[in-house]
Amino acid sequence: MNNIRLVFIFFLSLISLLGCNDESIVSLSEHSVIYCAEGSPETFNPQLITSGTTIDATSNQLYDRLITYQGKENTLTPAIAKSWHITHDGKNITFYLRKDVPFHHTDYFTPSRFLNADDVIFSFNRILNIEHPFHLVSGGSYPFFQNINLGELVEKIEKINNYTIRFHLSHADSSFLANLATDFSVILSAEYADQLTKKNSKANIDTHPIGTGPFKLKEYRVGSFIRFYRHEQYWREPAKIEQLVFDITPSNTGRLTKLLAKECDVTAYPIAHRKIEQHNSLTLEAVTALNVGYLGFNVKKPPFDNKLVRQAISYAINKKVLLEMVYQGKAELANSILPNTSWAFDDSIPEQEYNPILAKNLLEVAGLSQGFTMDLWAMPVQRPYNPNAITMAKLIQADLNAIGIEVNIVSYEWSTFLNRLKLGEHQSFLLGWSADNPDPDNFFSPMLSCSATHTGSNTTFWCNQAYDDIIQQALQTTNTSLRKKYYAQAMNILAQELPLIPIAHSKRYQARDNRVVGNILAAFGGISFYHVTKSTSLKKNIKTKTDNSGNSTNIGNN
Amino acid sequence: MARDKIYLEEIFPSPFMQLWQIFRKTPVAMLGFSCFIFLITLAIFGPILAPYSPIEGQLDMLLLPPAWHLDGNVSHLLGTDELGRDMLSRLMYGTSLTFGLSFIVVIISLVIGVLIGSISALTSGLKSSILNHSLDVILSIPSLLLAIIIVAILGPGISNTVWAVVMVLIPQFIHITRYAVKEESRKDYVLASRLDGASPFRVLHYSIFPNIVDRIMSQATLAQSAAILDIATLGFLGLGAQIPLPEWGATLANGLDLFYIAPWTVYLPGLAILFAVVATNLVGEGIRHALKLRKER
Amino acid sequence: MLIFTLRRLNLFIFTMLALTLLSFSLSFLFPGDSIINISGAINATPSQLIEIQKAYQTDDNIFWQYIAYLKHIIQGELGISMASQSEISTEILNLLPATIELSLVALFIAMFFGIPLGFIAAIKHNKPADNIILSVSMVGYSIPVFWLGLLAILIFSINLGWLPSAGQISLLFEIKLITGIQFIDILLSDSPYKWQAFSDATLHIILPACVIAVAPATIFIRLARTSMIEVLGTNYIRAASAKGLTFQQIIFRHAIRNSLIKIIRHVGLQFANLVTIAMVTEVIFSWPGIGRWLIESIYQRDYTAIQSGLLVLSCFIFIVHILTDFIYAALNPLARGSKYGS
Repeated sequence: MNNIRLVFIFFLSLISLLGCNDESIVSLSEHSVIYCAEGSPETFNPQLITSGTTIDATSNQLYDRLITYQGKENTLTPAIAKSWHITHDGKNITFYLRKDVPFHHTDYFTPSRFLNADDVIFSFNRILNIEHPFHLVSGGSYPFFQNINLGELVEKIEKINNYTIRFHLSHADSSFLANLATDFSVILSAEYADQLTKKNSKANIDTHPIGTGPFKLKEYRVGSFIRFYRHEQYWREPAKIEQLVFDITPSNTGRLTKLLAKECDVTAYPIAHRKIEQHNSLTLEAVTALNVGYLGFNVKKPPFDNKLVRQAISYAINKKVLLEMVYQGKAELANSILPNTSWAFDDSIPEQEYNPILAKNLLEVAGLSQGFTMDLWAMPVQRPYNPNAITMAKLIQADLNAIGIEVNIVSYEWSTFLNRLKLGEHQSFLLGWSADNPDPDNFFSPMLSCSATHTGSNTTFWCNQAYDDIIQQALQTTNTSLRKKYYAQAMNILAQELPLIPIAHSKRYQARDNRVVGNILAAFGGISFYHVTKSTSLKKNIKTKTDNSGNSTNIGNN
Repeated sequence: MARDKIYLEEIFPSPFMQLWQIFRKTPVAMLGFSCFIFLITLAIFGPILAPYSPIEGQLDMLLLPPAWHLDGNVSHLLGTDELGRDMLSRLMYGTSLTFGLSFIVVIISLVIGVLIGSISALTSGLKSSILNHSLDVILSIPSLLLAIIIVAILGPGISNTVWAVVMVLIPQFIHITRYAVKEESRKDYVLASRLDGASPFRVLHYSIFPNIVDRIMSQATLAQSAAILDIATLGFLGLGAQIPLPEWGATLANGLDLFYIAPWTVYLPGLAILFAVVATNLVGEGIRHALKLRKER
Repeated sequence: MLIFTLRRLNLFIFTMLALTLLSFSLSFLFPGDSIINISGAINATPSQLIEIQKAYQTDDNIFWQYIAYLKHIIQGELGISMASQSEISTEILNLLPATIELSLVALFIAMFFGIPLGFIAAIKHNKPADNIILSVSMVGYSIPVFWLGLLAILIFSINLGWLPSAGQISLLFEIKLITGIQFIDILLSDSPYKWQAFSDATLHIILPACVIAVAPATIFIRLARTSMIEVLGTNYIRAASAKGLTFQQIIFRHAIRNSLIKIIRHVGLQFANLVTIAMVTEVIFSWPGIGRWLIESIYQRDYTAIQSGLLVLSCFIFIVHILTDFIYAALNPLARGSKYGS
C-alpha cells in the first residue's frame, strides 16, 4: 500500500510541477516559431533540386542571392549585389557586391572573412564548369540551370576585383536576371568549400550548409525536424525571432491537428479550410501561385485542327462550376495562361463566357451540328494546379454532352500518361504548368512555342510562327513595358487560336496562429520567415480577433 | 429390409453438438453469433444490396452528413464522402473485403495449420524439435508485426495482405492442433482404438478430431478477430487495400483528411471494425464458456 | 538453473541464426540487386561498388556470403538507408530508445490499471462488478488502436486542449540526443528550461502511452482474474482462512503474491504485443520511434532499412522474451523444468 501512496505523491508533485512554469515558457515561445512543413528537404542546397519542399526549407532561410524580387510588381532589387550594370548589347552584366556580408558562424564552420567575389564565382562555377572540383559532389545534376541552358548562355564569369564580377553571355537574354533572382541561384561560401576539401568531406557542403541568410542551421533530424537559429550578424537587420523550427509532418491531418492544438504556429498546405475559418485565433492565407491548369487540344488531330471546334468547346465549358467542384472555390478563374499576379498580365483579355448556345452555333458553322465523340485524357495524380483531374473530366463530360459531344475519359498511370502525350496519341487532355520563376517567358516558351513541340513540353503540337516571333522579340529586349506589350499580343493570339483552354490558377495556402505576424508566403518560390514576429500579449490577440470578425477569412494576395 | 432396434439406444450427441447446446443457452453469445451471421450475410450479399456504387460518387452530393443530422439526406443514410460516394454502400462493400476476407483467411490457414499440426503431432525426434523451436520463434513475434514484415517483402496490396495474414495465422493453428492432438492421444479411448489396429490417420480422423474440433473453433474466433484487426490496420497504414477499395481500414484512412469537417467518414468505419471484432469475440467467449461448462459437467 | 540457462542460450543462438538468415535472404527476395539491397549504396560509384562487393564476399558461395553478412552485423554495420543515405545503425540507435520508452510507460500503465482490476473482478467473481470489468475489457480488446488514437486526439487535444497530440516534446526545447530516452536526456541536458521540458515531455507521453496501454491492460485484466481465481481455489488459501486470517490478510499476504508470479510470465509476451501496437500508434502521434520509421521505409521501398529494421526489432523482442523467462525462472523455481520458451 505504501508503494501506491508513493506513486500517488510522485504524480501530485509532477502535476504541481506542470502548473508553475508558464512564465519562462512564454519567453521561450515568444522568440520561436514552429512551422509544420509537409516533407523533409532532399538536401540543403537549392541549386541541386526543383522541389518546392526543399526550396521552402532552404533558400530564403539559409541563403541570399545576388539580386532578388520585391514588392507586388516583383521588381528586381539589390541583395548581395548592391547594384548591377548591363552593357547595351545585353551581353555583359557586371555586379558590384556589398562588402559587409558575413557568413554563418556554426558548430562546424567559423568564417574568417566577409563574402567576396570568390564566393559568387565559386557558387556559379560549381554549376557551369563540369570540371569544377565540386561539380560532381552530390550527383552533378543542377536541373533548374540545365532547363534554362545556363551553361550555353554564360560564356565566362570574370572577377574584376574582390567585390566586382562580370558575366559574359553568348547572347542577350532578358530572363537572365530573373533567373539569377530565383531561389535556386544561391551564394555558397568558397572558404567553407576549401576547408571541406582539406578535410576530404566535400559532400558536407550540401548537408551542413553555410550561407549568408537570416537563419543558420542548428540541427537536422531526418524526417523529424529542422532547427534554425537566428544569424545574429546578418547583413540586414537580424530576424525578429531567435529560433525557427520546421516540424516535418507529412500527414495532412497531422498538420491541422498540430495547428488546432497550438503545437505549431504556422502550417503549410492546410486542409479543411472551413474548420480553420471557424477558429478565430487562426488565420487562413493564400497567394495565387504562378501556375495554370488547362484543357489542351491536339491540334494535329481532327476535329480539333478546326479553330471553330476549339472555340465551341471553350464556350461550352462552365469554368465556374469546375472551380467550385474541383478547387472547392479556392482558385482563380484563368482567362489566359498567365496568372494575374505576373507583371506581364494584361487585363484587356476578356473573360471567356459560358454560352452553350453560341457553342452549338459554332459547331454548326464547323459542320459538326450532329455532334461527335472525343477522347479526353485526365491525369491520374493530384497536382497543385489541378487537385482532381478525373473529377474535372467528369464535369466537362457533362458540359459537352449538352452540346451533343460525347466524351470518353481516358487515364493512364502518370509516367505512361506523360509519355503517351509526348507521342501525340491523345485528342484532348487535362494538364497544367507551374512556373519556376516570375518571368512571363516561363509560361510562353515551354508551353506553346514551336520548338517545344519537339522537346515534348508542348503537347498541343500547336505551332504558330507569329506567336513564336513575338515571344522571341520579347526575350531580346529588357524594356519591361515593351515586353508587356509583346506578351499581350501573344495572349491575344492564344485567345483567338485556343490551342488550350486555361481553367484555373490555383492558390497556395497556409494557415497560422494569429500571434504570428508578418509575411511568409510569396507568389512563386519558397517561403521566408525573415519578416516574422510573434506577439504573446493577450491584449493584442483580442484585438486581432475583432479585426477579423468582420471578415472571418483573411484571404488576400501578398 | 427394415432393421429392428435391438438395443435401447441412448441419444449421445457428439462433443460438438454438446457444445452447441450449452452455447445456445448463453444469450450474450447468441447475440454475438447472430451478429456474426449477419456480417457473413452482408459480406456475401452486400454488393447486391448496396444502394450505390462504392467507387463512383455523385458530384452534387459531396460530404453529406448522415441522415439523422440536420443537413442529412435520407437517400444517403450514412452520408457521403468527399467524392460524393455513399458511406453505407462503401461500408457494405467493405464488409466483404474486411470481414469476408478475414473469414476466408481464417478458413485457409485453419485447413493448412490443422493439417501440418496433426502430421507434426504424429512425428517426434529431431524434426519435431526443430518445428517446435521454429514455432516458438514465430509465435513470439506479434501477428501484426509479422504481417507487416511479410507485406514489406511482398509489397503493398490487398492480395498480399491476405497472404500475409494467412501465413501469420498458420503457426497458431499448427501450435494448437499439435498440442491438442498430443494431449488427446494420451487418453485411453485413443489407445483402445489404436490397439484395435487402426492406422494413425484413422485414429486421427475418427477418434481425435471430433474431440478437438471445438478447441480449434475457439482458436479460429481468436484468429478471426486478429485477422480483421490486421487487415484493417494494414489498410489504414496504406500497406493493405489500395485506393479506391472500400476496405474499412483504408476507408478510415481516406477519411482522415476530412476528420475535422466530416467526422462521420472516420467514426463509421471505425465503428464497423469495432462491431465486427466484438461480434467475433462474443462468439469466441461463448465457445470458451461452453467448453468450460462441458468439462465441468 | 544451469541447464535452464543453457537451454535458453541454445534457443537464443538458434533464433538469432534464424533471424539473421531470414534478414540475409530478404536482400535476395526484395527486387533489385542484392548487394545494393544489403548495403543501401544506391549512389555508389563503380569503384566503391567493387569495394562493397569485396566486403560482402559476393564472389564466394552463398554460405560465405552469409558469414560475411554476419560479420558486418556483429560489427554493427547495417548498411546505409537508401532513402536518406545515412547510417542505419545510428538511425536505429536514435529511434529504438524512443519506442522502448513509450512501450515501457505503456506497459507500466497497463499493469497499473489492468492487474488490480483483474484482481477485483476475481474477488467479485460472477458478481456485477466482474461482469462490468469483463465487458469493458472485451471492448478494449476489440477496439482498433488507430481509431482509438484518433478519438483520443480529438477529445483530449482538440476539444479539451489538455494534452498535446504529437511528438515526444515541444520542439521549442532543444534537448541533445544522448541516450535517446527523452526523460534521461532532459535530466542530462544543461538547458535552462530543464524542468519545463521535463513536464512538457510528461504531458506528451500520456496520450500515446494510454492508447497503447488499453489492449494490453485488458489482457492483464484477464490474466490477473484467471490467476487470482485459481489461487483463491487452492488449498493453502483455504488453510489460511481456516487459520482465521481475515479476507484482507489472505488477499494481500498470500493471494496477490502468488498470482503475480503467474502474470509476470506473460509480461514478456505482452511486451512484444505492445511494441507492435506502439508501431501503429507512433504513426498517429508522430512519435519519433522505430515503428514509424519502419513503416515509412516500407512506403519508400527502402529495402536496406526494412531489412535491418526488422532484424533489430525482432531481435529486441526476442531478447525481452528471454529476459522475462529468466526473471520468471528466478522467481519461480518450478518453471525451470519447462522445456520450451513460450
